[in-house]
Amino acid sequence: MILPPWLQPKRLRWFAGTAIVAAASLAFAGAAAWWRGWSPGDAWGLTFGAAAALLMLMAALYPLRRRWGARPFKTAQDWMQAHVYGSTLAALFVLVHMGFRWPGGRFGFWLLALTLWTTISGLLGVALQKWIPALLARELTVEAIYDRVPELADRLRGEATRTMEGASDVLQRFYDAQVQPALAGLSPSWSYVFEMHSGRARRLAAFEHIQSFVGEADRDRLADLKTLVSEKMELEAHYTLQRLLRIWPLVHVPPAMLLLAAVVAHVASVWYF
Amino acid sequence: MDPHAHGEAAEPVNPELQEALRRLRAYPFLQPLSDTVLRKLQPNLVERAYAAGELLLRAGEYSDAAFYLKEGIVEVRFAAAAAGSPAPAAADPAGTDTRARLAAFAQRASVGADGTIIVSDMPVDVSLHKRVLLEPGELFGELNALARYPLSSDVVAKSDVVCLAIRTPALRMLFKQKEVAAFKKQVDERYRARTLGSHLRQVELFGGLGDRAIERLRQTADIVSFEPGALIAEQGAAADAFYLVRGGNVKVMIRAGSTDLAITYLRKGEYAGEIALLMDEPWPFSLQALEYVEIVKIPRAEFQAVVRDHPPVQQRLWDTAVQRLKERGVASRNPLASQYLQMAMDTGLIHGESVLLIDLNTCTRCDDCVRACADTHGGTPRFIREGTRYQQWSVPVACYQCSDPVCLVGCPTGAITRAMGTLEVTIDPQTCIGCRNCVKRCPWGNIVEVPFSSPTLKKNIDLATKCDLCVGRAAGPACVQMCPHGSAVRISFKDMARVTEILSA
Repeated sequence: MILPPWLQPKRLRWFAGTAIVAAASLAFAGAAAWWRGWSPGDAWGLTFGAAAALLMLMAALYPLRRRWGARPFKTAQDWMQAHVYGSTLAALFVLVHMGFRWPGGRFGFWLLALTLWTTISGLLGVALQKWIPALLARELTVEAIYDRVPELADRLRGEATRTMEGASDVLQRFYDAQVQPALAGLSPSWSYVFEMHSGRARRLAAFEHIQSFVGEADRDRLADLKTLVSEKMELEAHYTLQRLLRIWPLVHVPPAMLLLAAVVAHVASVWYF
Repeated sequence: MDPHAHGEAAEPVNPELQEALRRLRAYPFLQPLSDTVLRKLQPNLVERAYAAGELLLRAGEYSDAAFYLKEGIVEVRFAAAAAGSPAPAAADPAGTDTRARLAAFAQRASVGADGTIIVSDMPVDVSLHKRVLLEPGELFGELNALARYPLSSDVVAKSDVVCLAIRTPALRMLFKQKEVAAFKKQVDERYRARTLGSHLRQVELFGGLGDRAIERLRQTADIVSFEPGALIAEQGAAADAFYLVRGGNVKVMIRAGSTDLAITYLRKGEYAGEIALLMDEPWPFSLQALEYVEIVKIPRAEFQAVVRDHPPVQQRLWDTAVQRLKERGVASRNPLASQYLQMAMDTGLIHGESVLLIDLNTCTRCDDCVRACADTHGGTPRFIREGTRYQQWSVPVACYQCSDPVCLVGCPTGAITRAMGTLEVTIDPQTCIGCRNCVKRCPWGNIVEVPFSSPTLKKNIDLATKCDLCVGRAAGPACVQMCPHGSAVRISFKDMARVTEILSA
């Protein structure tokens, strides 16, 4: 079975290593539970808990990769792999630590909820980071830096204004009614997430309709305007999807920080009591 | 008489131009030229005066002009010889580093028992122990200007000096003028006498050939030049010679139906024609000049005689031929390889020895590459993550580290340099005066200016900045190392097999 690209692991070795560790851990925990029962507080339960805490701590150090020049790994991509696969293992170890039982008490519940939220949102981020770039590269001809999209849209408007110098009244009316609103501002829309060419055919169809009503002299202008509107829509698609990549960490990072704080509190309370 | 009466507009008399032409006529080798030709040449012929002690040319740098010495005496100092003497302080702010680098180069060079070093760009042999002087009437630096080799020696004014800088376009135009055929002949003969032998020895194929055989090839070789786009050899035509590229890039293409398919390209020092000569067949492909190209042609009979007399060369030739036929077969059967090659030639990427490419299929536009670059360079990134796009690959505005870096030509302070044997072209912010020379020369717009407070000039300048491959950084270029998705790669377009492998992955 061939997985869709956004589900395919980028580095097979990391994936295989993690899968082996996960399988071995589950097998070991299952055997241990069958042989002598399982408790989060016994030696093996605590070992898995400690391993999960350490992996979470390592994952939390990911933002320091730039300051550390990717050390102790060779590249930032290694760091990213360690972050993704380490965190996934951490979530599994938490479940093993708990013996796959529902936690007792409210704190335990929140600890588990934060772990699952952080892990799932992280994996969602991984999928988005694979899916969106491929979509942008495949579907769009324009490439734009996110922060410069508003400036580029302004530039398109300026070009359109220059294109209209000396245009006929017919084209001017079409420009006022159709082109100017299409070029005004930026309208990031969720519809781009589901359909990259959302509304493009409908908007550009207007150019086909007007074509027979403008003179020969305005045909080139009309074609230029069509290109500008098309580019504007591509910019909006970029803006929407790149924004999604930028806001996704807000769903992942604050809960992850809360989780880390909760883990510290959990470890301290276990240590103390 | 009214010139309009003849239906021709009278050319306005420009006293400054007239004076410039009058001064140019004082140079013996320019005297046979007509006014029309001289007027065309004039913008690229510049008379320059240097005070005693001033540096005309600096070893290790690139130059876009040959120099004809009109008055005064200049001294040619090979770097190692110069290392022992104080540099002309005002004129050589970056001298210490250059000398240190070149001292190492001197150790690698072939030095005779008497300490004599043959340098190709000067009309004399330079001694490690003696200073060599050039007198009025001498021409120097022309090989560097034509073939873009770095200078091997410092040239310093020994007395007050006046010389004529003949910039490369003028040099090329001069070579086409029948009236001054002797001038071209003189330059070609100098190349044949001083450099061709070592160039031939550097060709792997001729490795191990004795002095007599090399001498034979040297004596019979023709030196020819081609304008951009010119057909050098045509597929199916009789193979007349062995072609060694002396300067420029040459496209190798085969006919595929009604179109020409690029299968590879030849750079400075590479060669073609050996298979056709060996097998006594017509040209199996066409050769086309991608830019101004200089070729050393060894006639068929001489080449075949050398091959016949030297079985090891013949064996090497067969080995090379088989290897090349395999490569060309792969290239011609793989449309992608040809497509990438054509793209590289169209966009100028073939010049790049370390081109930054970003795979847009995996790049999340997180800008970690830009931040890492900025972190490495005091807060100012050395590249812009936008540029041209080819399929899913983005080619950002980042220095390609060209094999022939034209940005190095004509830097007034020597701030922009490439250390011998290294890839990275670097700009010294202490020495850059913000003149924009390199910015204007870079054909790809990959050198950008940033506001900078120059400690040397004690004023604000627009400092020229460019990617320096994070020179000195143990882990290599930060952009590649710090990309969390492995989307940034650096590749040399010298290795088209690797380019095809990466781009089609």
